[in-house]
Parts: sequence; structure tokens; C-alpha cells
Amino acid sequence: MKRSFIISCVLVLMCYLLAACGANSNSGANTGADAAGNGESNAQKEVTIKLFQQKVEIAEQLKVVKAEYEKTHPGVKIEIESVLSSQYGTKLKAKLAANEMPDIFNNGGYSDMDVWADHLEDLTDQPWVSDAVDSAKAPMMKDGKLYGFPLSLEGSGLVYNKEMFAKAGITELPKTLSELEEASTKLKAQGFTPFVNDYASVWDLGITIFDSFMAKVPDTDKFIADLNSGAATFAGNDVFKGLPKYLDIAMKYGNANPLTTDYNTSMTMFATGQGAMIPAGNWIQPLIDKINPNIQAGLMPMPVSDDADFNKNAVFTSPTIWVVNKNSPVKEQAKEFLNWLVTSDIGKQNVAKEFKLVPAFKSIKADPADVGSIGDDLTKFSEEGNSLPMQASKMPEGLYTEIAQSMQKYVAGKSTPDQMLAEFQASWNKLKK
Amino acid sequence: MDNNRASINMHPVLERSSKLERGSTVKRWISSQWMQQAFFIGPAILFYSIVIAIPFFFGIYYSMTSWDGVSGNAVWVGLNNFSTIFLKDPEFGQSFWFTTRFTLTAVILNNVIGFALAYLLSLPLKSRSAIRTIFFLPNVLGGLVLGFIWQFILVQGFPGIGKLTNLSFFNLPWLGTEATAYWALIIVSVWQGAGYLMVIYIAGLANVPKDLIEASVIDGAGKWQILKNIIIPLIMPTVTVCLFISISWTFKMFDLNYSLTSGGPYGSTESVAMNIYNEAFGNNRYGLGTAKALIFFVAVTFITLIQVKLTKSREVEM
Amino acid sequence: MFGRSYSFKWFGIELLAFLLALVFLSPFYFVIVNSFKSFAELLTDTAGLPGVLHAENYVNAWKALNYPQAFKNTLIITIFSNLGLIIISSMAAYRLVRNKSRMNRILFSMFMLAMVIPFQSIMIPMVKMFGWVNLMNTFTGVVIAYMGMGVSFTLFLYSSFIIAIPKEIEESAVVDGCTPYGTFFRIIVPLLKPMTVTVLVLNSLWIWNDFLLPMLVLQKPGLQTIQTATSSLFGQYMTQWDLALAVLVMGMIPVMILFFMAQRHVIQGIADGAVKG
Repeated sequence: MKRSFIISCVLVLMCYLLAACGANSNSGANTGADAAGNGESNAQKEVTIKLFQQKVEIAEQLKVVKAEYEKTHPGVKIEIESVLSSQYGTKLKAKLAANEMPDIFNNGGYSDMDVWADHLEDLTDQPWVSDAVDSAKAPMMKDGKLYGFPLSLEGSGLVYNKEMFAKAGITELPKTLSELEEASTKLKAQGFTPFVNDYASVWDLGITIFDSFMAKVPDTDKFIADLNSGAATFAGNDVFKGLPKYLDIAMKYGNANPLTTDYNTSMTMFATGQGAMIPAGNWIQPLIDKINPNIQAGLMPMPVSDDADFNKNAVFTSPTIWVVNKNSPVKEQAKEFLNWLVTSDIGKQNVAKEFKLVPAFKSIKADPADVGSIGDDLTKFSEEGNSLPMQASKMPEGLYTEIAQSMQKYVAGKSTPDQMLAEFQASWNKLKK
Repeated sequence: MDNNRASINMHPVLERSSKLERGSTVKRWISSQWMQQAFFIGPAILFYSIVIAIPFFFGIYYSMTSWDGVSGNAVWVGLNNFSTIFLKDPEFGQSFWFTTRFTLTAVILNNVIGFALAYLLSLPLKSRSAIRTIFFLPNVLGGLVLGFIWQFILVQGFPGIGKLTNLSFFNLPWLGTEATAYWALIIVSVWQGAGYLMVIYIAGLANVPKDLIEASVIDGAGKWQILKNIIIPLIMPTVTVCLFISISWTFKMFDLNYSLTSGGPYGSTESVAMNIYNEAFGNNRYGLGTAKALIFFVAVTFITLIQVKLTKSREVEM
Repeated sequence: MFGRSYSFKWFGIELLAFLLALVFLSPFYFVIVNSFKSFAELLTDTAGLPGVLHAENYVNAWKALNYPQAFKNTLIITIFSNLGLIIISSMAAYRLVRNKSRMNRILFSMFMLAMVIPFQSIMIPMVKMFGWVNLMNTFTGVVIAYMGMGVSFTLFLYSSFIIAIPKEIEESAVVDGCTPYGTFFRIIVPLLKPMTVTVLVLNSLWIWNDFLLPMLVLQKPGLQTIQTATSSLFGQYMTQWDLALAVLVMGMIPVMILFFMAQRHVIQGIADGAVKG
């Protein structure tokens, strides 16, 4: 009893102390807000641009940009909030519900653009529009108008370890499924594990791999429309016949327990040389660099069939897109900030040097040393015109998770190729609008 | 409201006390009853309404719309969402089936192990208070952190032990197959839950009169018989509480599921709470998601009611 | 319990309990031990003790979490929510237990029903309402939300405790001229102390560890709680287990301290609350 009394006393005391602290900080915040509301509004207009974004990889770098911008633009404050993409959607909806929408935020394009259409500012008249790469603008175009600002280009396919390929004597990158298998045998002969399969990650199955196939379907838009109307099926499509074949090869020459290997583990495995190829994109560069700064990685299109010509385009680009909130009171300042970022020298330099992303603007040239070897390969594909636009966000929302689950089922040996494609179909029919 | 006023007046304690206060009029007395009601329960109801009740009714409204969670207008669709769930959404049924199986196993194991630990630690062991603390310790972790930690243990730690000991248990593809993912969730849930229930059972056991046990020992009853015929019937009220707590926990499991398996592999460990979350926020079908939540709410209420009724009927007065 | 027996048997049982406790502790061992290893060592030797103590993991985690800020935020939220919950729930529990009118019976089951409502089904409307009344990004908003969400369980614990308090005590107080309010605050409240400690610790465990609510309501940098900071950092450092584990341990420590401080009461309290119910 005695001890409990003492503990209670201490706790009560702590409460009082903290109540005092709490009250102080509250009143402090209030006076601050008042001052901004009344006193200073005449002297100089202080505005705050709220930027809410899901690329945590550039969170630190954005702070540098923010400092730079605030220095040259007195009266403008930028408030940056970076969250994981897995939490991004829920948080953005909570912000919307609470009437706390940010001024600049991320959007996935296509169907995601339609969802958020009520909130998007038309950016067609912005000075940077003509400088932006067309394929990066495509996801945000509607009725001839542009609703998004492409911050960077991202490409995916198979990321491979250049050293291992060289040691295995692979001089020519595999362009067909048969060549992929051949390369795998060579790698295996050298004692390497050819594939790192992180099939615990629904993202890599449902987007990285699935989209490589989807993007290759000739006239994808028509195929998607036909899937919606019922005129086409996955089982009836030639490109998708290659999907189970690809998975078979990757499984045969892959790591043990692919279904327990998640994204993080797979990054570690690839970076530490426990595998030569991984379905991924240039976004993994900072991660694998952190684990092994000496890694030499490259990017190649993911082969989807045995027709070499058909496979040369497989790298597709998916931009990181920022949009401006149409209903924001500071949308003009927000647009000015975006414009500064890609037209001013300081801004450009930051985009090219700090972000380590492949810029989506023709006038911004990224140094291979900055964007890394994967990004450098991507730039080459893009410049040669060998790139295809991403398709993931044209598909029904949430589809990729279900697609990935069907693929997991297939690689676990719980379904046949036909069953897998039939499950794709069922998911599509269920989720289509 | 009049009914209520009448019933308050008829309450025996109040009647007695009203006789004591002769000076006050009946009317003043009633108003003071209302004052008491408002004073004591008012604040609780206020917070309950703001945070639970009103949003819950909003939810019922949204469950009859096709709202996507973003657009300004929610289109009224009546009971369409409910028919979609029952007719066209086998995954929801599967997640319900998974949750039921999971709850059943987890609740039984949690309670059996919790009870066994409590029984063990009711014995006069020297180190028992320290050991009790250790068993309860996992409860200081939140569900999300719990999942992260176990993900690390299963993905990194187990293979590490496996290398050292060559025990096949540690070399299983943890989280990679339906069965291992299922049992991983069970292990973690028991690791955390058993200690909590243990504490409740310890108190229950402490209330079993010692002379009753001593008497039966003299009568020549074996340990097992004492447990079965005396201890367990006497701690049925504790069992009721433990079952109620563990059922509502495991049925609503979200954080652990989200951070440990995310429903994988191939959706085989997707709990209902996660299915609802994914529907509302992943598929942007908030209306459909809340409709599912409503069905779920009714189901959980129903199940806990049955459980409480069933175990209550077995309780024995001491 | 079962009379005396020879000490060898007791030693065996003690040993068994001890081994079981070790199994229960082993996850903590993994996390703590590995949080002191370098990344490479952690990958190659997960089970062993660290060769060199890498305390810099903690230095980095401290900085990345913005620990003092997050700690202060979490503490403020936890303390005020606890205070509020204790006050409103104990009052309501007293009235609901001592005045079993039909309305109060209905109210009681209504409160209990809230324990089975999945949070996901109310969170968006709740956030919407908070937006209307400017409670977003305020600690007041979070505290109100915790008070609403926690009132049911707290009330449940208190009411099971109050039932066991003999009515005679209150009746004699009334005879002495105490008002109902005076009876509650002067007679009942002091009696509730053991349960209050339990409630305090259980709710602190819950609020301290809660993640979804602060993630939704506290969306401004600087308002992060330990949990939201941990989860977002954990996501960023997922590939760097060495840092991530240090982050996790730092999030865990304050609750552990609180728990060890009050553990006797917690265990006593949970037991009291549950059994007398």
C-alpha cells in the first residue's frame, strides 16, 4: 500500500508538471498563429506550401531543396511530409476527410487521376510543360490537358549484377525466354544463384512483373477496354502465355523459399551477391548502394516471349508525379515552386544531383555518377526510344494485390497456368468499375 | 423518458434515502437525480458519442453508398453493397473462414497455455513473481512493433538458429506457406496473449478456497480429479472473462496481421479486419468496406453474446 | 497448494517454469542483441552475441526518431488521455453500477458493444468530424479520441471493481449527510485506487503503443509520437535491420520502465478487475 501511494503521488505530480508544460506549449502555438494571422499579414505575406509525398528515398534531399527555396523566396515556407507509400493513400484520404488537403501531393496517374479529378489543378499552361518527356506526361493527360508534374522517370525490368554476368561469360543480354534460361544455366555453372525472387512482395509480382507483360500487349488500351467489356480474356492473349513460362524459369533458377523472401530480404540478397537478377527498377539503387556501395548493377528488359524483336522494348517508364491541389489558396505559389524546381539553375541542379532519380525533363541531364548504373541504363533505353509506358494505374484499383496472390498461388504449385490466368480474369471482373 | 424516471424512483436504495431527506420536495429530488445522471454519466456519453456512436451511424449511411472515399458525392445504392458481398465476393467469405479458424485455435491455445502457466505459478515457487512478470512482458509491445519484431525473428533469427542446431522446425519456410504463416500468427498471438490471460487466471485460482481442495485431498481425490471437478467449475467466471477478452481480440486482429504477414501468402492469412481495410483504402471502395465492417460487427457481437451466455450458464456460485 | 513434497520435485518444477520463461524471453534477446551488431554481423550471425558493441546504432536511431520530441508528444497524449479516461469512466461506472435503472442497463450494454466495433469502420467519419471542429493535428483531438475509444474498457474494469465494494459504506456516508457527489469523491474514489493503478497502466500500454489513430490525426511534422515515428522510420530503414532494431528498442524502453515500476499493481489489478466482474 505504501509503495502504491508513493507511485500514485509521483504520477499525479508528473501530471501536474506536464499539464503545465502542455498548457504552455498550447498557448505558445496559439500566439504564434495569431501573430501570423494578424500582425504580420500587413508587413509581408507569409504563405506555407504543404507538400505531401510518398518517396521516402528523397525525404532528406527535399529538405535541402526546401532550405534553398526558402532562402531565395522570403515569405514562402515549405512544409514537407514524407510517408511510406503503404500509408500514403490512407493518410491522404484522412487529410481530405479532415479538410487538411496538402497543396502538392503524389498521384499515380490514369485511374488514380480519375479518383482525385475534383482536386487537380490544370497545369497545361505551365512553362515547363514542353520540356517534360512525353511518356512521363501521358498518365496525367486528360482531354488534352495536363494535370500532373512529372518529377522523375522510373523504369523496371530485370536488374542484373554486371560482374556476375561478366564472370559467367554472358556478353549479350538475354532477349528471349530461351536465352534467359541459357544465361541462367551459365550463371549457375559459375556457382551463382541466377534469380532473386521476392515473391512475398505483392508489389513486385503484381506490378513489376505483371506490368512488364501488360505493357507488351500490342495496343494495350484496346486490350484493357476489351477486358472491361468482356471481348478479351487473359487466357486468350498471346503475351500472357509467356507469364507462367517466365515464372517457371525464375523459380527453377531462383533462391530457396521465394514466398518467404520479402522486398527487404531480396534487396540484401541481391546487393550481397546472393543472386544475379531481380525483377525491380532503378528505385532500388539507393537501397542496394547502402548495403554494398561497390555493386555494379544494370537494367534489362524482362523477356516475355521467344521473339527477340518483341522483347527489346520491355523497359517501361513510370514517372513519379506531383499534382497541385485545385482548391488550395496557395496554388499559385505551389506552381511557382514546381516551376522553379525544373527551370531555375539551382532547382535543376538539385533535381539532377540530389534526388538520384532519372529526371523527366529533356533539359536536365543527370550524371551517371549521381543516378547510378541502373538509372543510366534506363536513360539509354529511354533515349533510344525503346521504352513503353506503364500500365499499372490504368487497371482497376487494388487489382495488383489480387493478381499477385494468384501468382503466389501458381509458384507455390497450387494452381496451373490456366487456373492462374482464369483467376486474373475473375479478379478483373470483380474489381472493374 | 417517463419510464426511466419511474424506475429510478422505485429503486430501493434511493427510496430509503429519499425518506431520510424529509425537507426536500419530490420535484427537487427528481431534478437532482437527473443532475446526478448527467453529472456522472454525461461526460462518458459525450465522448462515446463523438468518437464511437456518431461515426458509427455515419458508417451505416456510407455502407449504403458507393462512395470511394475521395469524391465529393456519395451515390446511394441501398443494399447493393450487401448483396455484392454475399454473392460476388468469395474473398470476404474466405477471410471470414480464416479468421474463424484462427480465432478458434488462438483462443483455445491462449486459454489453455494461459491457464497452465497460471496453475504452474500458483504453486509456491521461489521465483514465481519474477517469472510471472516475464510471461506478461510481451504485453508491453504494440501490435505493429510485435509484427516487425517477429518478422525479423522468423526471417532472420530462425534460419540462424536452424544453422546452429539443424532442427528442422527452424528451417521451415516461415511465412512462406499457408501453414507456416498461419502458425506464425498463432505463435505470436499466444506469445503475447497467454501472459495476459495467465494473470487473470492466477487471480481466479487465488479465489478457490483452499480448504475445499485440502478436504478433497483427504478424501483421496487425485490431482487431475481435483482440477476437473473442483477447480475448473469454480473458476468458470474467470473463464467467461478470458474467453470474452481473447475472442474479441483475435477476431478483430489487424495490426499484427498487417505487419507480420500482410495477408500472405496468396491472401491465405487475410483477416476480416484486413480485408475491410484493403477494400476501403486499397481498392478505394469505402462504401463496400463499411458494409463489410457492419456485417463483421454484427457477427462479432453475435458470437461474443453466445459465448458469454454459454459459459455463464456453467458458472457455479461459491 | 497440495501439501509438502520432497524438494527435488519442487526444484524440477521451478526449473521447468524457468525454462519456459526463457523461451518467452528469447524474442527480446534477438531484438536487443542484434540491435548492437553491425549490419554484416547481423546477417551472418543472427543468434550469437555481438562481437563489438555498436552503440552508434542507438545514436543514429535517437537522431532519426527525434526522440525527445516524440517522447514528449507521446507522454502528453498518454497522460491527458489517462486522466480523462479515469475521471469519466469511474464516474460513469459508479452511477451505472449503483443505479440500475433500465436506461442505465441499456447504456451499459451500449458501452460494452463498442468493444467489438472494428476501428476501421469508424475512423474516416471520425476524422471527418474532427476536421469540422478543427481538432485535426491537435493533441486535444487525439486525447478526445482516446477518451471515446477507451471509455468502454475502462468503465468495464471500474464497474467490476465497484460491484465488489459493499453498499453499506456509502449508505452510512449518506446518513452522515454526504451528498451523492460527496459520497463518490470522498468515499468511493479513495477505494478505487488499486483499480486506478491498473487502469492507468493498461491504458498507458495501449495508448503508448497505438499507431493508427495518431497516424490519422497527427499529420504534421513535429507532432509525431514514438509509434508513428518508429513505423515510418522502420519502413525507411527496413533494409537496414541494425538501425531498425535500435529504433524498435528505443520505442519499447519507456513502456518497459513504466511496466516494471508498476508491475505488481498491474498484475494484481487485471486480476481483480476480471475476476470480480
